[in-house]
Amino acid sequence: MSSLLMQTFRCLPRLSSRCLHTLPSTTSSALELIRSQPSQYIVATLAGRKYLLTPRDILTVPRLNKVSVGDVLALSEIHELGSREYTLRGNPVISPGIVKVDATVIEHTKGKQEVVVKRKRRKGYYKTIRNKHPYTRLRIGSIDIPLVTQVAQS
Amino acid sequence: MASRAFVAPAKPIFRASLRSSPSNGLDAFIPQLRKMVFEYCETWPTSANMRTYILNHLEDVARQNPHCEIVVKNRPHGEPIVRGFYLNTRDKVIGLKDYEVNGIQKKVELLLDSSGAKIRPLKGSRVVESTTEAARGIWSGMHVDAPFKI
Repeated sequence: MSSLLMQTFRCLPRLSSRCLHTLPSTTSSALELIRSQPSQYIVATLAGRKYLLTPRDILTVPRLNKVSVGDVLALSEIHELGSREYTLRGNPVISPGIVKVDATVIEHTKGKQEVVVKRKRRKGYYKTIRNKHPYTRLRIGSIDIPLVTQVAQS
Repeated sequence: MASRAFVAPAKPIFRASLRSSPSNGLDAFIPQLRKMVFEYCETWPTSANMRTYILNHLEDVARQNPHCEIVVKNRPHGEPIVRGFYLNTRDKVIGLKDYEVNGIQKKVELLLDSSGAKIRPLKGSRVVESTTEAARGIWSGMHVDAPFKI
């Protein structure tokens, strides 16, 4: 439990009058506050970069060669879980059982062709590079915040 | 006679509030390629690799991808092509004239992996495509503690 409390829980400053009396002391009550709000977001690392993600949105990352279309990936590095008024930040990552978000691979594509022309004047050096960068597109699933009692039992 | 409980009048449900936006992959994923048509010539040498591919590899591809209808079509005195038809009514046509059997396999995988969407630059503003409203709301200059005074 002490490792869980290392994750910082913050309220918006304009709610300080309410939060001073109701600042949650346990992780379960903190998560209950976030879960009670209408919508949540996460900040997660995918393919080495951080993205701010909400459910139902499509994320484009450089091609992941080891996955195939239709596979479901569980996001393992979630740095921040937030809602309208409350934020839970990991140190640097939120513990794996607290938040569960899946991402489904919907497509492997290539981007639009880019043409890079390299030239040095008076040296006869002229080169054209045509590039179509390969990408993978993922559909982010719902943000699942399981009840802490269930996590403790598992 | 028991007193009747007050029943509030029913709120109107507007048709537009019941619509849902397409989100393939959210709870269920539907593969987007519905049909592949392989067109080849029986006699010309440019279709030789294509004929080999159809004889040796096409049945395995069909078995591994049951969502996709595979059609083999004759294209007399023409170059070999493969057409992929997608659920968004678009199609991709790939010419396979100068490809070896491995190259044909790679192009078939390209069709299977794609969603049929038009090829657009996927950098910058298209990295995260979201239709959900911001969870923390949009900043408003009217709703701060100290609004800016000119």
